[in-house]
Amino acid sequence: MFWRSTRHRLMKRLQLRESWIIFFILGNVMINFPFLKIFNQPISIMGFPLLFLYFTLGWAISIGVIYLFTQTTEPDHQHGEERPHP
Amino acid sequence: MTTGLLYVTTIAITYTALLFLIAWFARRRSEEGKSLVNNPLVYSLSIAIYCTTWTFYGSVGKAATSGIDFLMIYLGPTLTAFSWYFILQRMIRISKESNVSSIADFISLRYGKSQLLGTLVTLIATFGIMPYIALQIKAFNTSFALVSGITRRTILIPGTPEPLNLPSGLLLAISLSVFGVIFGARLLSSTERHEGLIAAVAFESLVKLVSLIGVGIFVTWGLFNGFSDIFEQFRGRFPEQFAHLMTLDTQTGSNDIPASTMLLMSMGAIMLLPRQFHVMVVENADTRHVKTAMWLFPAYLFLINLFIMPIALGGILLTGSPAGADYFVISLPLIHGNNSIALLAFLGGLSAAAGMVMVESVAISTMLLNHLFMPIIVRITPKQWFPVLLINLKRFGIFVVVFMGYLYYLLVGDSFMLVNMGLISFSAAMQFLPAILGGLYWKRGNKSGAICGMSLGFAAWGYTLLIPSLLTSPQLPPFLANGPFGIALLKPTALFGLTGMDMWSHSLFWSMLLNIGAYLVCSLLLPQSEQEKEQVHRFIGSFEQEAKAYRAATKRLSKPVTIPQFTVLLGKFIGKDEARRTMEAYLRERQLSSDSVVEEFELPGLKRFVERTLAGSVGAAAAGAIVDSYLSDMGSRMESVYDIFSTVRTSLDQSREALFVRLKASEIINRTLDIQTIADDLLQLLLKEFKLDAGLIQLRKNSDFPLAVISYQGANRHPIMPGHWYLESDPYFKMAMIDQRTHLVNDLRQLDGTVTMDKTKEEGFVSFAHVPIFREGEECLGVLSVYSKEIVGLFTEEFISLLTSLAGQLAQAARLVGEMEAREATRRTMLQAQLEKTRLMRDMEIAQQIQHSLLPEAPPDIFGIELAGRCIPATHVGGDYYDFFKRDDQTIDLVIADVSGHSVGAALIMAEVRTLLQAQASHAASPSVILTSLNNQLYADLTRAELFITMFYARYNAATARLSFANAGHNRPLVHRPGEDGCRELDAEGLILGIKQNVVFEEETITLTAGDLIFFHTDGIPEAMDKSGEFYGTERICHTLSVVADKPAEQITDLFYEQVQQFSGEKALQDDISMVILKILT
Repeated sequence: MFWRSTRHRLMKRLQLRESWIIFFILGNVMINFPFLKIFNQPISIMGFPLLFLYFTLGWAISIGVIYLFTQTTEPDHQHGEERPHP
Repeated sequence: MTTGLLYVTTIAITYTALLFLIAWFARRRSEEGKSLVNNPLVYSLSIAIYCTTWTFYGSVGKAATSGIDFLMIYLGPTLTAFSWYFILQRMIRISKESNVSSIADFISLRYGKSQLLGTLVTLIATFGIMPYIALQIKAFNTSFALVSGITRRTILIPGTPEPLNLPSGLLLAISLSVFGVIFGARLLSSTERHEGLIAAVAFESLVKLVSLIGVGIFVTWGLFNGFSDIFEQFRGRFPEQFAHLMTLDTQTGSNDIPASTMLLMSMGAIMLLPRQFHVMVVENADTRHVKTAMWLFPAYLFLINLFIMPIALGGILLTGSPAGADYFVISLPLIHGNNSIALLAFLGGLSAAAGMVMVESVAISTMLLNHLFMPIIVRITPKQWFPVLLINLKRFGIFVVVFMGYLYYLLVGDSFMLVNMGLISFSAAMQFLPAILGGLYWKRGNKSGAICGMSLGFAAWGYTLLIPSLLTSPQLPPFLANGPFGIALLKPTALFGLTGMDMWSHSLFWSMLLNIGAYLVCSLLLPQSEQEKEQVHRFIGSFEQEAKAYRAATKRLSKPVTIPQFTVLLGKFIGKDEARRTMEAYLRERQLSSDSVVEEFELPGLKRFVERTLAGSVGAAAAGAIVDSYLSDMGSRMESVYDIFSTVRTSLDQSREALFVRLKASEIINRTLDIQTIADDLLQLLLKEFKLDAGLIQLRKNSDFPLAVISYQGANRHPIMPGHWYLESDPYFKMAMIDQRTHLVNDLRQLDGTVTMDKTKEEGFVSFAHVPIFREGEECLGVLSVYSKEIVGLFTEEFISLLTSLAGQLAQAARLVGEMEAREATRRTMLQAQLEKTRLMRDMEIAQQIQHSLLPEAPPDIFGIELAGRCIPATHVGGDYYDFFKRDDQTIDLVIADVSGHSVGAALIMAEVRTLLQAQASHAASPSVILTSLNNQLYADLTRAELFITMFYARYNAATARLSFANAGHNRPLVHRPGEDGCRELDAEGLILGIKQNVVFEEETITLTAGDLIFFHTDGIPEAMDKSGEFYGTERICHTLSVVADKPAEQITDLFYEQVQQFSGEKALQDDISMVILKILT
């Protein structure tokens, strides 16, 4: 129940065009320095190197986010960009 | 351990055959209308063409040497995928609208269909892709050697004494080119979508994925115990390397390419590499697929990269060093004797290389054909074999692309790692970024900006990256080490002293700086052309532009165009049947009928459709030019393109000569509006080009006029006069005019006797033709006649059809000129009428002034009475008249009259009346006598002018206080007496003046007393009407008189005038108003 409402709320947020730009910028920040410096250390966690783990999980999550976004848009809504320009 | 040359070759050939089968099957399905390719999964897999041997082999090499930063090449596209929903969908939509066939087309379309820009993009793409192709050849060559066991380039074939030199790289280049040709350039198709190619590519992507995951699982779980085992073992054995590989290098100045550079380049490359653009935009079957690809493609990248790190680290653990890490994917299974895994890996690599080279070479060869070869071949004389030339040029383009890569491979050899070679290409592709992004989102971005930016960026890229990459082996030439001519500032790898950067970042920095800078500066400083502006809104999407484009499109069309004409044009390029089919489909969609003239509002749409369809086979720039020039009847730029294709495709029905004449004729006709010049030039052209001896053009204005010779050309002309030889052809002219068909005699000697042509024969003519000049569906305007002295049988069907078409054009021109002249005549008449009217008005004003001056300026002074008179004409001049004649100090004559009508005639009569009355005034005749004589004098004039006059004549003697009067049918004056209600009328018998002669007028007399007020008036006052149609009437006058009787006479006239005006409301006066007040004071 909790999951469903959270998911619903999440999807609603993702529908916004702005959220895309935010995710895009966020993604850029997260795989660039200086943010990357946090994970840029030669240590292992549970046998996995930290940076490798970070990239792999981060990547998988971002694919998940895109997937969720694409699910929020209506199937026949072909031109998502065609909102009137200010 | 190896698997043997024959075996590997067989596997490779079998696999290739399978690919062909898939491609063939996909094409067949698409022809049946059940597309295999039209689904999001295939679309996503086809985008995975991004993963080439670079990914397949190079990533492992990169991971083993510089570590985890290899991932940047795949994280970049994932980030870009976030934007696809906006950017990619828009690009696809625009491309589909205009049938864009390549990235060069796309960019040139945005910037006003610029040929130059298209050529520039093509050049950048062709040179930029060189290292990338080289990478594929190198990787495949090495992997083939590894798997087959051929380590040297010579093999010993059994049965031959000498070892054979095996140029495997060359063989590979040839086979890859052949691949490209078979998949992408079998036919010159009207559409740039290749379903077979895409099916094969998607299948290859699957093979790549399965194969790399297979190898990954083999290494991770076959040779080790899972991921952590590999990592832990590696950490234990190579702790220093572990730290290096598992972190990103943050030091500047090292030779490694920084992660951020790779990230940036890969973000751009995923959209900008020609093959990516091709599969993502050109080959896209449905924009909705983008949505799936947005997550499916990153997921593909994720999966294919999951095992790269384990394979790289496992390889180092097993071999002891990262040397040869580029080929761990194959060498690891081989070392462990697992041939089937090695073969699987080999197939994956083969797929990666073949797919990439195929699509890339097809994409670039399309660009080469449309933007490099086309502009050149349109300048040379066309020949029959042009279509064959075109398809072979495309094939040649594929070979050029592949062999340039091969050349680069030979030059650079082994001095670069795979990934670093690929990044050189990425850097070149980045040069498209400012022009595309700016084109999609910045309205000001213009052609000059794009051209300057891209050429500067390209130059910087060539100088700082391509040239150094060619010269690195084996030792640095002085040019590279110290800069050209020893100028250190110009050193390619440290331009303007920028040191401490790797070659790639350095080049990217300079090329992008110059590119973006020039793009912005030129776009801001220079204006956009009209054609560009038209495109801007198509790209940036604003609707008011549609209307503008519509206007621009209709403006260019001066003549009615029919749908069959468009179909014929299309047919010249894509074949008659195909043209008919596509046109029918379009018409069905728009619910139009195929044989009608296109409505004006349908034209822009139809024009765009034709352009789009043509764009598939000749590129957007050429398509636009062709349609434009076609519509303006070949009168505009790029006519050569159209001309050539017409010649090539219609050579069966039309000769080169005929086309030339058509072109010239339309030039002549469009050049001027002077029909004389047109006719003369046209005849001279015909005479010159077809060796005719005489020509005549006869025209008539319309069917009421006879034919007149407008132009007569030819040698030995006789003056045109009765008995001229041409008149013998008169029956032919008449027939041509009537049945609107050409009448010709191909051999005068064979003519039977119905028409005598003796003089024509004498002149030496042997054949002639008379072509009616008319527009379809309209009556004949004239006849075009041509005569030949030399050639019997000159007028073939083909020639006649040419003449007919020229005559049609002439009719068009003549009609146009006729319409212009008619318009001009109407305009002149109207101007004349306007002038006339103004003049008349002025005359009338003068007349009014004169008439006004005829009325007495002020009443004369007579003791004991007060007089006032007033006359207001309804129009400029009127027929009302009053006057006073003072006879002596005691006696005054008053006259008031009304000439019927308000015309100038009435005014003139009034003037005459005045003259006559003044003449009478000196005689002491009584009023009745005066009226009688006046009637007799005026009778003739009045009868002639069909006018008549009513008049009241009164004489007042102050001494006797008697008013004697006579009335010629005038309104009876009213007498108001103080203390009396109402008023009495003054009446005397009498007939209206001008009815008959010798009329006797009764004379009456009345004695007036002090306070009496006599009101003389014309019918304008009692007959003044209000809105409801009620008359002002005598009673109202009497009432008003009783009210105003005390006022001075002058004031009374003013008051009456106001009253009448008020009464009739806003309406203008219907009739002249005149009144005279006589007030008795003592």
